[in-house]
Amino acid sequence: MGKTITEKVLSRVTGSDVTSGDIIFPEPELITVHDWYVVNFDKALQELGINDLYDPNKLLICTDHEPVAVSPQASERQKQVREIVKKYGIKNFFDSGRGGHGHIFPIEMGFVKPGMFIEGYDVHVTNFGAVGALAIPLLIEITEVLACGSVWLRTPDTVRVNLIGNLLPGTGIRDVAQKLICDLGADRVDYAVVEYGGPALASIDIAGRHTLCNTPIEIGAKSVLVEPDQETVNYLVERVQGNIELIASDPDANFREIVEYNLTEIEPQIAVPPTPDCVVDVSEIAGKPVHHAFIGSCAAANLSDLQVAAEIIQGQNIHPDVRFIITPGTQEVMAAAETSGLLKLFTEAGAMITQPGCGPCAGGRIGGMANGETSINTGTRNDYGRLGAPNADIYLGSAATVAASAITGRITDPREFLS
Amino acid sequence: MKWIYQGKCWKFGDNLGIDGDVMPLRFALERELDPMVLRDHLMAGVDPEFPQKVSPGDIIVAGKRFGQGNPHIQGFLGIMGHGLGLVVETIPRGSFRNAINAGLPFLSGCEKITNDVETGETLEVNFQTGDFRNLSRDIRRQFKPLDTQLMAIIEAGGWHANLEKRLAKLAAN
Repeated sequence: MGKTITEKVLSRVTGSDVTSGDIIFPEPELITVHDWYVVNFDKALQELGINDLYDPNKLLICTDHEPVAVSPQASERQKQVREIVKKYGIKNFFDSGRGGHGHIFPIEMGFVKPGMFIEGYDVHVTNFGAVGALAIPLLIEITEVLACGSVWLRTPDTVRVNLIGNLLPGTGIRDVAQKLICDLGADRVDYAVVEYGGPALASIDIAGRHTLCNTPIEIGAKSVLVEPDQETVNYLVERVQGNIELIASDPDANFREIVEYNLTEIEPQIAVPPTPDCVVDVSEIAGKPVHHAFIGSCAAANLSDLQVAAEIIQGQNIHPDVRFIITPGTQEVMAAAETSGLLKLFTEAGAMITQPGCGPCAGGRIGGMANGETSINTGTRNDYGRLGAPNADIYLGSAATVAASAITGRITDPREFLS
Repeated sequence: MKWIYQGKCWKFGDNLGIDGDVMPLRFALERELDPMVLRDHLMAGVDPEFPQKVSPGDIIVAGKRFGQGNPHIQGFLGIMGHGLGLVVETIPRGSFRNAINAGLPFLSGCEKITNDVETGETLEVNFQTGDFRNLSRDIRRQFKPLDTQLMAIIEAGGWHANLEKRLAKLAAN
């Protein structure tokens, strides 16, 4: 019996023959922790009497959920994080203004390679699957990984999704990623790795692959990854050190299910409250007035997302009833958006640009909503309270749909702007 | 460590949310981790009298996606506070880990188990072997028990106690 990418990665890092269902203690090659959880893990380690990390060089810490401290408490926490980073001798620290979104910039900066095994304190660590790495989210047990090098993992099954067809004009990868989790449903991907492949993959850039690797975690997948290919190599070749080795599942691997998914059949999609998998065609909800619009988050904050939005916004003004926030994912994306004139275009149209990172999606600490308001945005989740106010409605869509809606002041099919 | 539970069955359906149904969300937000505090609020969202009705050794039997939602450990600690066992059809990934981390003996992957029990019937469950008996109706089913490495974590008293044990072992080497 052949092996899936996941079984191959875990076999390599454990030096044993790993099969789906096995309980193993794999050592991650990279560990990511964000913002104030650093303070929590330090407290947990102190209580256990641990003064040294198992391997501080594997740990990457970033400040992305609240890069610009907006309260005295946040400033205090940031100060504590800086002190803790020094105490443990952590070299890979990307403080405010240094990296950007911790699910995106590590790929840009060459920390992530195909076939790597990564663990992180945040569910959307699965973005690293965009270049074929296996990234597993952990919560409090990250403390055990930091102290002992590993924690138990039940080796997940794999659901293979073969993408076919071509995107229709006006439809983006976000629409595909959103509709896919609605069509798959929680039971089919429960505790599985969603592995993307198929002929349509060649037409999807690394930014689009971030988005594909972002949504399935919302319905209970264990992780998500894309079978790395020539596009992966082209993207990484100038960014990583050493060889880039591609990895693929064997043809006779034991997949839980193989799904064929046709891009050509997908129209612009909207996730309606209260969960990201409550998805409808944009036509079903178009016309609903919005007060808040946002492009950013680990699901859509790359340069291509901003370019799509700019094509629609060019020469237009943001609707007077809408405040429109754009959060470039990383410092690199921000700089590129400046060079290509996007920031000027957005600013002149009446949008606000924020510091790279999570933006409002991290609980609405910045740029949140009031009760009774409606938002259309590219964030990761739409549960009530996600953007601060408990009684605000959050709709999720592609960068194109958000841009079109920000102009008209109501949820709008972006294809109206493409004729 | 006791692996064989004999007691009353408490049956629930599918999709019990860990926040709200099994335990009020506020305890997760307050980071309350004391099983003796949490036990008084167990199942508050579906049966507010539940904490007064159960006895140690009783067994909660539920359907699919027990403990769905944002994975918080408090509901499982509440079950521990009463000394109950848990048998479910399925349990989502985050709650599976939390059940282990709380040190709770449980069986998951028990297909259509809610068809074989009613609340009030007497059950006997061996969580080490997966042997499940409904003594009231002479029904016997065999399920796959947890992996032995996970049972070792439960045996140690859950995640924190097991981590202390692991660290002591590392220090000794």
